Amino acid sequence: MAEILVVAEHRRQTLADVSLQMLSKGRQLADQASAELLAVVIGRNVDGYAQELARWADRVLAVMNEKLGESLAEPSQKILTSIIKERKPSLVLMGHSSFGMDLAPALAVELGAPLATDCLDLFIGNGSITATRSIYNGKVNAVYSFIPCETLIVTGRVGEFPIEDWDKQGEIEEIDFPLEEEFNYKQFEGYIEQEAGGVDITQAEVVVSIGRGIKDKEHIELAQQLASELGGVVACSRPVVDYGWLPSERQVGLSGKAVKPKLYLALGISGAFQHVVGLKGSKMIVAINKDARASIFSLADYGIVDDILKVVPLLIQKIAALKG
Amino acid sequence: MDIVTCIKRVPDTSDADIIIDASQREIEGDTLAFKINDWDEYALETAVQLKETLGGSLTAVTVGPKEWDDVLRRALAMGADKAIRVDEDMITADSYMVAGILESLLRSLSYDLVLFGAQSEDFGSGQLGIMVAEMLGVPHVSLVVSLQVQDGIARVKRELEAGALESYTIELPAVLTVQTGINRPRYISLSGIKRAMTKELQVLSLSGLSLSQEMLAPMVRLERLETPPTGKKAEFISGSPEESAEQLAKILQNSGVF
Amino acid sequence: MMTLTEYRYSDVVHRCFRCGYCKFPVNWIDVNNCPAYARYRMESYSTGGRLWLIRAWLNDEINWTEHFAEIVYACVSCKNCVEKCPLRFNIDIVNMIVAAKSEMVERGLVPSTVKEFLENVQRQGNPYGSSRARRGEWSQGTGVEQYQGQEFLYYVGCVGSYDTRARQTAKTLASLLHKAGLSFGVLGKEENCDGNEVKNLGELTLFEMLAEDNITQFKALGVNKIVTLSPHSYNAMKNDYPDYGGDFYVYHYTQLVQQLIGDGKLDISGGFNARVVYHDPCFLGRWNEEYDSPRRILKAIPGIELVEMERNKAGALCCGGGGGNFYADFLSGSENSPARRRVREARATGANILAVACPNCMTMLEDAVKAEDLEDKLAVRDLSEIVAEACGTE
Repeated sequence: MAEILVVAEHRRQTLADVSLQMLSKGRQLADQASAELLAVVIGRNVDGYAQELARWADRVLAVMNEKLGESLAEPSQKILTSIIKERKPSLVLMGHSSFGMDLAPALAVELGAPLATDCLDLFIGNGSITATRSIYNGKVNAVYSFIPCETLIVTGRVGEFPIEDWDKQGEIEEIDFPLEEEFNYKQFEGYIEQEAGGVDITQAEVVVSIGRGIKDKEHIELAQQLASELGGVVACSRPVVDYGWLPSERQVGLSGKAVKPKLYLALGISGAFQHVVGLKGSKMIVAINKDARASIFSLADYGIVDDILKVVPLLIQKIAALKG
Repeated sequence: MDIVTCIKRVPDTSDADIIIDASQREIEGDTLAFKINDWDEYALETAVQLKETLGGSLTAVTVGPKEWDDVLRRALAMGADKAIRVDEDMITADSYMVAGILESLLRSLSYDLVLFGAQSEDFGSGQLGIMVAEMLGVPHVSLVVSLQVQDGIARVKRELEAGALESYTIELPAVLTVQTGINRPRYISLSGIKRAMTKELQVLSLSGLSLSQEMLAPMVRLERLETPPTGKKAEFISGSPEESAEQLAKILQNSGVF
Repeated sequence: MMTLTEYRYSDVVHRCFRCGYCKFPVNWIDVNNCPAYARYRMESYSTGGRLWLIRAWLNDEINWTEHFAEIVYACVSCKNCVEKCPLRFNIDIVNMIVAAKSEMVERGLVPSTVKEFLENVQRQGNPYGSSRARRGEWSQGTGVEQYQGQEFLYYVGCVGSYDTRARQTAKTLASLLHKAGLSFGVLGKEENCDGNEVKNLGELTLFEMLAEDNITQFKALGVNKIVTLSPHSYNAMKNDYPDYGGDFYVYHYTQLVQQLIGDGKLDISGGFNARVVYHDPCFLGRWNEEYDSPRRILKAIPGIELVEMERNKAGALCCGGGGGNFYADFLSGSENSPARRRVREARATGANILAVACPNCMTMLEDAVKAEDLEDKLAVRDLSEIVAEACGTE
């Protein structure tokens, strides 16, 4: 293995955290395999990012072009294909983010490269690589291997790899990549911000979060009562927003918000990864769910296996009684 | 407008005990119930609504063994005009293979729009739709949460992290992968499924599609399945709802929550 | 899509002249005897209002909306309106509402909790979506036998098999039947939903499939007599299954237990000291006119002072758990919910035990007792639990 390439992503003047996570993992693998770590960042003006990436990478390719506007995946794909065909890195890493999801599969097909997405871990041993993924609702892990190939593409699960501090002072190479293609078939129109609602759940000290187990929007009131007793806010997991019971500003998770309260109460939430990634910063996590095998319990500090509709009204009473 | 929606059948793992079998490569299936992949249901509903507004045809396709006919029947009951299953029994870890099969099938169909669910409930790779788009050489957008089609152009909104969205216009024909929450899929009644039995469900064999040997050789292999490490376990509070509520309230008080 | 002229009841649905009798119990003492009306206190939720809205929808005068669907599905099939409506088509009123629900089912337009209920039954044979493989878990450690041609099939039902509280009742009844020396067996994980709620939710084809499959299974096993835990199962098997070739002797357990006590097979001399008020379950009471067997049981047990609520028997206020509502839950969220009203009414009799004979009533009323803060004053007990205590099997 000679080179590991990490694709860095950025959006709205911010380098994505997941890129630093993948770089950290890349650094670890590169050192293990005595390989070089290369970071590639693509955009209109990427000097600042390149400086940051150089802390982990031995070399940074800063590819710039006027046409490279916002996060359209297609130009990145063209550029990366060219770079990868030329340099032949053994491993290409990126985050399994909305950017990575759009880019990696298309890149893999264009290169004819094997692809493993949303990986929890990667092992290099005996000259081969295996990747671990989570399947069946988080209940099973699957370990994959790959046919011998020139380049393997792997996307990593967001938030899975810790960011480790390095100070490599890698060499930065600026490349001006001419792009003939116009990409007219797909045009970026703009970003849509979440509507500014009344509540910012990211600032709350106590979050009472409801999931599918709440069964009906009428019961949301129970969560609200509990939140009032505890001086907190009501939040939710994705299905509650999908059903139209709460606005998306209340959603905790990958496509929602990250919260770091003193207490996170997960009511009727199974613990799907896309949700829990948003609550990992909580100091104390308590979960109530009818399913003893719900994966939320492996994250929670305390758990009650029971029907939330039975426990929550009582909990409200008991708290009120203790408050005096 | 001609729409093709690609769907799959998955096990219902929400309440089930998932047991890895002796081969360590499959899970035991006899106690499992099966259903249509959640994301695919949203994709189907999107397709049916489009068909209802713009007219045209809707075809549902899948690649799988004959048990997977049920999800095609459900798609027909929901509003698809016809269904096609490519008969294929192998469970593969490699989406690339399935993508190749779908590419070959789609090249024989006429389509303005191909819809996929953004990922599947069982393996959750999120690769298939985009791979097929690339193989067909048509534009793609993943994680679509809003879609409008007019005069050969689709206006879509796509989901990003932290609740933000980005919007695109994309020329048809195109491939879109659909995110949950884009709409509310309708209930499929049993009588609807029965009536749909008269609609066409075509089964094709792999040999009928022009596929190269390379296409059918997987690049990704499943080595084994493992039970995830349990990590730190929660301290369980037991007893009647009354008792557990009481205990929890005390714990919260002692932790200074209130 | 069905139009008004195609609607089976098109000749009578407009005949409601809004007298409002359907809101009252037989003895007229309260205007809140229709569970949905009691909860919402709006005309649209009363039977008359609902029928007018149904007619308007089928006649294209109003559009389907989620709210409209909730109004229709807020009817829990208690039959109070059937009991009270003075017009000659009164026997069909609940059928009229179910027919409207079935049109919504056909169009795929049902409220999300109803969709979940039905999809779960389709997939796992129970509305909770719990794994089919777990259906027999309630009987672990009880020594209850698998049905293999014994005299009785003890049919437990979905609520009894999966709901944590109802499971206790399922077990208690099994131990009672065992104590009485009854020859019986259960289906365990081979048991499938009886379909009563499915029918009342308007999914008629699914109901037919469930009925036919159950009948085939029962016949293959040589089932002749069935004793059910739930009045819902009792109702479906006794009244609907014969239409599909299922002719069995069907008993609700209170009918059997009453006889076992009378025959001396259950010794209740241990007694049960309490003031007990009995709540008539709709599917035993108004649907099947069985008001007596449960009362005979309670009267036979020494120590019980049996009192009655003002609205009882054919005038009982439904707990709100029918029509799938114990799951779909359209009537909670207020002190006006029928379950909470009923609990207050029970407490007003001075009783300290509220006796039920249905697992749905059990769930609804126990939750209401907690919501009303009456846990230390009023306990909800199933009749099987009262008898078991009197027999010393508890």
